[in-house]
Amino acid sequence: MITEAETPDDAPKKALIYIFCGACQAENEMKPKDPIRCRECGYRIMYKKRTKRLVVFNAR
Amino acid sequence: MVEVLRDKEFLVKEYLETRGLYSHHINSFNAFIDSDLKKIIQQNHAVRSDADPNFYLHFKNVTVGHPQVDDGFNVTRNVTPQECRLRDLTYCAPIYVDIEYVKSGMKYLRKGFIIGRLPIMLRSNRCCLYQKSDAELAKMKECIYDSGGYFIVKGTEKVILMQEQPAKNKILVEKDSNGVPTVQVMSSTVDKKSKTNIIFKKNLIYVCHNALEENIPFVIFMKALGVCSDQLILQMVGTEFAIMNQMYPCFLEGSKLNIYTQKQALRFIGDRIKKMGFSSEDYDSRVITEVHDFLSTVILAHIPVTNTNYHMKAIYTSIMVRRLIFSLSNPDLFDSKDYYGNKCLDLPGSFLSLLFDDTFKRFTFELKSVADKNIPKVKATPFDIIKYIRTDTITNALVFAIQTGNWSIKRFRMERHGVTQVLTRLSYLSAIGMMTRVNSQFEKSRKVSGPRSLQPSQFGMLCPSDTPEGEACGLIKNISLLAHVTTESEDDDAVLQLALNLGVEPVGLYSVDDLHEDYMYLIIFNGNIIGSTNKCIDFVDKFRRCRRKGIFSKFISIYISERHKCIYINSGDGRLCRPYLVVENGQPLLTNAHIDDLKRGYCTFQDFIDQSLIEFIDVDEENNCLIAYNEEKIVPETTHMEMAPFSILGICASVIPFPHHNQSPRNTYQCAMGKQAIGTIALNYQHRIDTLQYNLWYTHIPMVHSKAVPMINYDKLPAGQNATIAVMSYSGYDIEDAIILNKASVDRGFGRGGTFRNSKCFLRHYPNQMMDSIQGPIIDNATKKPIYKHRALENDGIAAIGQPVFDKQVTINKATPKTITVEDVGGDRGFKETPLYYKGYDPSYVDKVMITSNSDCFLIKENFRQPRRPEIGDKFSSRHGQKGVVGLIVDQEDMPFNEVGICPDLIMNPHGFPSRMTVGKLIELLAGKAGVLEGKFQDGSAFGGATVTDISNELQKHNYNYLGKDVLYCGIDGRPMEAYIYSGPVFYQRLKHMVADKIHARSRGPRVLLTRQPTEGRSKDGGLRMGEMERDCLIAYGASMLIIERLMLSSDVVEMDVCKLCGLFSYSGWCHMCQKSNSVCRIKMPYACKLLFQELQAMSIVPKISLKKYCD
Repeated sequence: MITEAETPDDAPKKALIYIFCGACQAENEMKPKDPIRCRECGYRIMYKKRTKRLVVFNAR
Repeated sequence: MVEVLRDKEFLVKEYLETRGLYSHHINSFNAFIDSDLKKIIQQNHAVRSDADPNFYLHFKNVTVGHPQVDDGFNVTRNVTPQECRLRDLTYCAPIYVDIEYVKSGMKYLRKGFIIGRLPIMLRSNRCCLYQKSDAELAKMKECIYDSGGYFIVKGTEKVILMQEQPAKNKILVEKDSNGVPTVQVMSSTVDKKSKTNIIFKKNLIYVCHNALEENIPFVIFMKALGVCSDQLILQMVGTEFAIMNQMYPCFLEGSKLNIYTQKQALRFIGDRIKKMGFSSEDYDSRVITEVHDFLSTVILAHIPVTNTNYHMKAIYTSIMVRRLIFSLSNPDLFDSKDYYGNKCLDLPGSFLSLLFDDTFKRFTFELKSVADKNIPKVKATPFDIIKYIRTDTITNALVFAIQTGNWSIKRFRMERHGVTQVLTRLSYLSAIGMMTRVNSQFEKSRKVSGPRSLQPSQFGMLCPSDTPEGEACGLIKNISLLAHVTTESEDDDAVLQLALNLGVEPVGLYSVDDLHEDYMYLIIFNGNIIGSTNKCIDFVDKFRRCRRKGIFSKFISIYISERHKCIYINSGDGRLCRPYLVVENGQPLLTNAHIDDLKRGYCTFQDFIDQSLIEFIDVDEENNCLIAYNEEKIVPETTHMEMAPFSILGICASVIPFPHHNQSPRNTYQCAMGKQAIGTIALNYQHRIDTLQYNLWYTHIPMVHSKAVPMINYDKLPAGQNATIAVMSYSGYDIEDAIILNKASVDRGFGRGGTFRNSKCFLRHYPNQMMDSIQGPIIDNATKKPIYKHRALENDGIAAIGQPVFDKQVTINKATPKTITVEDVGGDRGFKETPLYYKGYDPSYVDKVMITSNSDCFLIKENFRQPRRPEIGDKFSSRHGQKGVVGLIVDQEDMPFNEVGICPDLIMNPHGFPSRMTVGKLIELLAGKAGVLEGKFQDGSAFGGATVTDISNELQKHNYNYLGKDVLYCGIDGRPMEAYIYSGPVFYQRLKHMVADKIHARSRGPRVLLTRQPTEGRSKDGGLRMGEMERDCLIAYGASMLIIERLMLSSDVVEMDVCKLCGLFSYSGWCHMCQKSNSVCRIKMPYACKLLFQELQAMSIVPKISLKKYCD
């Protein structure tokens, strides 16, 4: 389980953004200044992946 | 006995499916691209230069491509609407032209040159969604039930609303604002618009026009048109006694002015035309040509004149005068402006062609001036016009107009605002309701009832219920389900030829006297007299037969006006019409066999139109028809029959069950509320990132729905839930329309929904090679955890998906370079923080984060989801204009129940019924209950649907009370209630007004810098205003200390030093005026007061304060 406490240790200066393509769902890694383009299909809309943090919803 | 047609509503369904509900928008846009665009370019095809007579540039053969996006480096790619929405792009397609031009004396030809980009209407024939299957649409992430008919400009969806206008080229007799009888003609041709009036003033008849400084006597006007003999003028107008009586003084005036010849008359008019400053030498001849020009192209511009032969104009004016004189003695002959045949609807296509015409003219003019400027210059390279063609002139003008809604066309002096509106995506109904909206140009402030009230001629064309309340009431209308708006026909020449073949004789063949004989009918085609006939009925009959044979367009209408002794043929655009079943010899031509064929798919609705079993009738032609309501009402004279009576309603009103049982305003209220009901907005709602999106999670198909509901797909994208209601009072928390909710129902998902909100940020490149950056979270050194502000961020500096974010937390930690200009290259490379905050009382969850690139920058859009469970104060309504807020949420154990344990979801107070008279709701409950027991949907169509007797019998069959009443047991003490309770399922809508969006309170908070008073409004955490009226109450009560507290101490109190000698402000206990300190007093006053005094002083006005001890 990944908790919030683990995050600060591995905080690199140039963080990668983990994204997937809006058209083919292919996973991509992006550096901050890269052009936004899927490596598989060339589509230009990318979405960020869901966090691996533990998220607790309060059901009410 | 006439055979009764079964399932006529199937025709309506088929019609709406084949044609689409919103085809008027799309058809008119298609017509614009396919024909208007070509015409406009043809009219302005040549660019020539004054500098070089051999130079030219010709535009020919225009085509419009498919929507594309420019991805940089001149790479273009086809684009889908959804991509445009997400990336904030404009959905537009290139306009290609072939150009032929001269470069250094040689002729060149370039094919497929792009002159600009045109925003494309969704689902038009250029759109990539055109004729796509559901699966293909789904692949493009597009909702299959989406209406289309709008544009996407920079990511926002824009609709060009239909505008209602007075019809063009029609003779209208009416009284003007001073009660002067007037005949008015609004002439409109492709390049001219003008308004001509003929007025009856002080027993004389005058011609008025804006270009004339004063009114011209009618007789003189006729003489200028070349009708010089008084006898001829009189014969043209008519030789009836009434006319001769009225004309006599006019002739007298003509002779008084000593004007007898055409030349004299022309000079007379020439002296009265505005803005003519000629030198005296050739004054005479120039005035004469000017007047000829005026007569042929300005006045009554729609009547063509060849070689100064004004005969047609003379006849036209004399007809106008004839109508004017007749209506003097018979007020019935006055026309009504509000009659819907005298209106036309402007569709997006006509707006765009006006705009495109104007911009293209400007575009060619710019090219011309470039050529004029550059050709004389001697340069190393020869002048090449191609290099000067800028595509963004046209693109920007079109995009700007659609984006802002400001239509300004200089040529027609048209300056209109609010032509386009953002498509409201509150609910599916609100989005499609927008496509049928008709806006009228009347001033909202004017208190006239005429244009606002329902006109009988609107029957079946405009929805009688769907109009807003308040200032725009009756000015904004909605077209009905079956109404169709015509687009310009291409068959005008064919119609003209046909009319001549059918025996129309040009008016020139008759003596003018004959034209007014009783048997003579003038034939007016689109406002122009094309001839006359003495066999009126025969002609019209044959003409209609030809139309049914399909010789020309089905939408061309013809009708006889006995009042005017005219036959009108109209082929213009913007007329409202609607399909009817054709009845001949007391029998509808369409039979049950046809409907069966349609059901089996052997034929289509279009086939019926082609075979003329169904015919389109416009508002004018309805006057010549006898339309039967149903088969029973058919008499031998009947010409047409109604397809389905419920089709007189519009989209929003079709959702109401049993609307014919309701008090009319209740239906109007529901039409407004249906648009606020939250539900599923579209099938692609999960892919959309809107600024605000409301959702209801567990939507139901209404138990009782009308036949129109499946046709408008409201059953696939509903907005509401079937709630079991009990009509009873409970607890006292249900007064004034408040409702009681069952807590268990809410837990199970009743009314549960959510909102999506977005926030977006751009990462820009700057001229000094710097770029916005996103920085990771700041870690607190002590705890090794991110600080509170950055708790939602992941290492990439963007909020984690699925993470709850609270007030004032950063969602994108953006930073902007400190220096950005070119001069700063190599300067300060530091960044300053410009983060995006989340703001809100309640937390939201990060739903998704989209990262993409726009033309020159990165674009990050975040979507926040906030669950919304019903709470006290949230607004609900049934479909009968019965809205109410939640007054109390009660635990299920305290709710009433019946012997099998059924417990209502919602309790409604019975006092809502007597004054509202929403009987439809009572029947909906009854029908819903029967439907639930039977396991089928009930029909609540307008003017039809299930009857109360049938429903009651069904209830009885299931051992329920015949009247829908139940024995309920009290949830609190368990005893049976002393009354039977009317209970059953009713479809309830949750409206968008929610407490969570409105809740607001403040003790201390931000203040306005200038006045130091608390800010205003919830968004700025503002104070609650104690206004004049509240202050009045306190004064009346005498609570003076409270006034001081509210108005000063709790607001902008400030302590000031005031000198009691000079009455001016002193500072730091020293009066600069008196050079003393012992005269200075310290008082409290409102900061706004201090500010006022200082502002007055700055204007050299000295306000002085005289001080007194209040115990004296």
